[in-house]
Amino acid sequence: MSPDRIYSFAKRCIVLVGILLAGCGTVDLEIRQNHTNPSMQPRSVAILPFTLQEPDLEKISPHKLFRTCFYNYFSYLGYVDLPLETIDKKLQQAGFTDPKKISALSHEKLREILNVDAIVRANVLSVNNFTGGIHAETAIKAKIEMLDLRTGDILWDTEHREMTYSGILSPTLVEIIQDQIDNVKVHQAYLKTAELFSINMMRKIPDPADNWKGEIRLPEITQIETNLKPNLKLKPNDRIYVNLKGDPGLTGYFDIGSWKSNIPLKEIVPGLYSGSYTINAADKVTISLIIGTLRNKNGLTGKKFYKEGMAQFDASTTH
Amino acid sequence: MTLITSNISRLILHRALSLLIFLVLFSGCASNLQTKVAGNLNSLSKNQTVAILPIEVSHSGQQEMADMFRQGLYANLKQSKFNLLEKYIVDGLLKQNDLTDPSGFLVINPMQFGEILGADAIVFSRINKVERNYLIIHSSIELSVSIQMVDTRTGEILWRAEQTEHDFSGIGKIPTGISTALFAPIQFVTNKLNLSKMTSKMVDKLTALIKKPENAVANTQFDDLLIAKKATNDLNKIKELQQLKSEWAQALTLDEEVVVLQNDTAEEAPKEVATLDNNLVPTASKIAAEPKNRVAVNAVVHKVHDVETEMAPLTDTPKAIEQKVETPIPLNALRATLVAPHHIGNSGKTNRDKTKPSKKLLKNSTQPKKLYTVQVGAYKTKAYAQSLLGKLTKKGYNAFMTQSEKLVYRVQVDKFKTKEDALKLAQGIREKENLKNFITLIQPG
Repeated sequence: MSPDRIYSFAKRCIVLVGILLAGCGTVDLEIRQNHTNPSMQPRSVAILPFTLQEPDLEKISPHKLFRTCFYNYFSYLGYVDLPLETIDKKLQQAGFTDPKKISALSHEKLREILNVDAIVRANVLSVNNFTGGIHAETAIKAKIEMLDLRTGDILWDTEHREMTYSGILSPTLVEIIQDQIDNVKVHQAYLKTAELFSINMMRKIPDPADNWKGEIRLPEITQIETNLKPNLKLKPNDRIYVNLKGDPGLTGYFDIGSWKSNIPLKEIVPGLYSGSYTINAADKVTISLIIGTLRNKNGLTGKKFYKEGMAQFDASTTH
Repeated sequence: MTLITSNISRLILHRALSLLIFLVLFSGCASNLQTKVAGNLNSLSKNQTVAILPIEVSHSGQQEMADMFRQGLYANLKQSKFNLLEKYIVDGLLKQNDLTDPSGFLVINPMQFGEILGADAIVFSRINKVERNYLIIHSSIELSVSIQMVDTRTGEILWRAEQTEHDFSGIGKIPTGISTALFAPIQFVTNKLNLSKMTSKMVDKLTALIKKPENAVANTQFDDLLIAKKATNDLNKIKELQQLKSEWAQALTLDEEVVVLQNDTAEEAPKEVATLDNNLVPTASKIAAEPKNRVAVNAVVHKVHDVETEMAPLTDTPKAIEQKVETPIPLNALRATLVAPHHIGNSGKTNRDKTKPSKKLLKNSTQPKKLYTVQVGAYKTKAYAQSLLGKLTKKGYNAFMTQSEKLVYRVQVDKFKTKEDALKLAQGIREKENLKNFITLIQPG
């Protein structure tokens, strides 16, 4: 084999490998503020609406799709994430609906509206979905950063282009055709690219989970009492009373198995919650345990099962 | 001639295209998904919390796939109808409770996870297989997972799925050149991106039904209610324990204080609520204000904890039951010291002014002096009571049988004027006969 042919073969291989790996580029994330003190780490984070630099010709709203996808993956990390709906609602209540105007708000104003330690904001610089002949590609290019609202400092930022590509240099004919077929589904193609973008980002974003693991504490319930007795068959108009003792100032409720959920408990004195449920003639329930729950403002719940008696219905009286 | 050539070319092109479409359809990745959901899955809402537990793996080589799978599962279920408990909270709480080995999760009662994590449902998953094969011009990856979602409140299995995903690279996919025929299989098995893509695809398919359970058709729904085995066992044990407690409670009903309280209840409460213990009608202000009531509540707290610690291991239930029986005092204490029940009228309104605590004292003052006896057993079946009675009598004990109003046959030994004497006999019976017992009061004669 002549050196020219070897050189040509090697060149093709390098190009091929380059093309194959083009879709999985690593994110170049720059950490600007690395808090070594856990108490300085932002705890609560809100992901602001993403902006789109270019006009949305395909009417797919790839920036919205990307935001949701990013949030889904970001919430896997150890931050307290404000749900997207809550963020949008708070911003709307404050009179802000335009993502570009929201991104331009000062950190003090954002902290006042959202009451979180940090925000993530992104500007989607360009998007591309192209399928033609034997070439198919979908790409999202965005600038993303995390801003500490307490100090106004950028904690990390990146500008990255994520691309899923298939073309003449793809290794097999079947893959080329399959990728063409997949890429025509524009929404799915953007979602797939956004997913890859998010997964690659998560590998680089600092995860503070280890800082909090030791101090996680659910609302505590020290005691649950009901008026149920062993082997008691409930009849219509019977009332189940539940008393719960635990951390004060929380939202209390109880469940009757999974059959009846979130029956409210009222905090009568600090730390003592009380409520009841009256059995209806139409109620149908198998034997169920009573479960008391206390929920704090972060949505964390503490549960306690009442094991001294079960709610069971007298079959002869229910329909 | 030109026409014939054109027709032949068209035919060849047509066949080539058909072959390609066939290959695309059938030589791509193969997937085998079996998934079923329960109707109750629909009842989960944003008020319910679901925790995705760490994934079980059979060897450390699967850990990477397990992490990707859990992340994908989490991201896919984040937009579901229910609330997902954050991963770091799940892991942190499990660590605090020394539950770090996912292979042991299935033998733990879901109820226990419910209390540890504050979750309404939990997701167990296991990586069954991560297999990568390479044979020069052919390589393949096979992934297999099992998953199960269990309601911690009932033990009901809400979702169960098994999925196998298989993909390959090689001649079957028609390489675009000689170099790709050689390199593509290597790239396929070594590039982590392919594993990531397959995992992502797998999770997409796997969670499609759980994200929209209302789309479930007959063959993707459980025919019957399925309860996790561990939950069934433990619920049965709770029922057994409650049954036993019920029997003991009946056996103790001759205690006069209790009788008085029950008579009061019967007089005041309408018939339909008479069987409910309404001592817990919201009396929070009283509980907080009155020291006596606070003592009563504390006594209950102690008792509840006892039951829970007995319940937790669930390997030595008979012993646990015996221990429970050994301390009957809290039962009386509870009944006697809690504030009297409130009357519930037909309208459903509560009458909060019907407490009659003095009756108990009045009744006590008019009673003839009672004697102490040692109770060694109580049975609903007379034959069992007689059997124990016979054994004790043969051994020379002054045993006798009494019957409660609720037809419980109690086996008791001797009568004493002082509690100390009764305690001595109780101690002797416990040591010599290995019989659990307690001291109770009995009418003279």
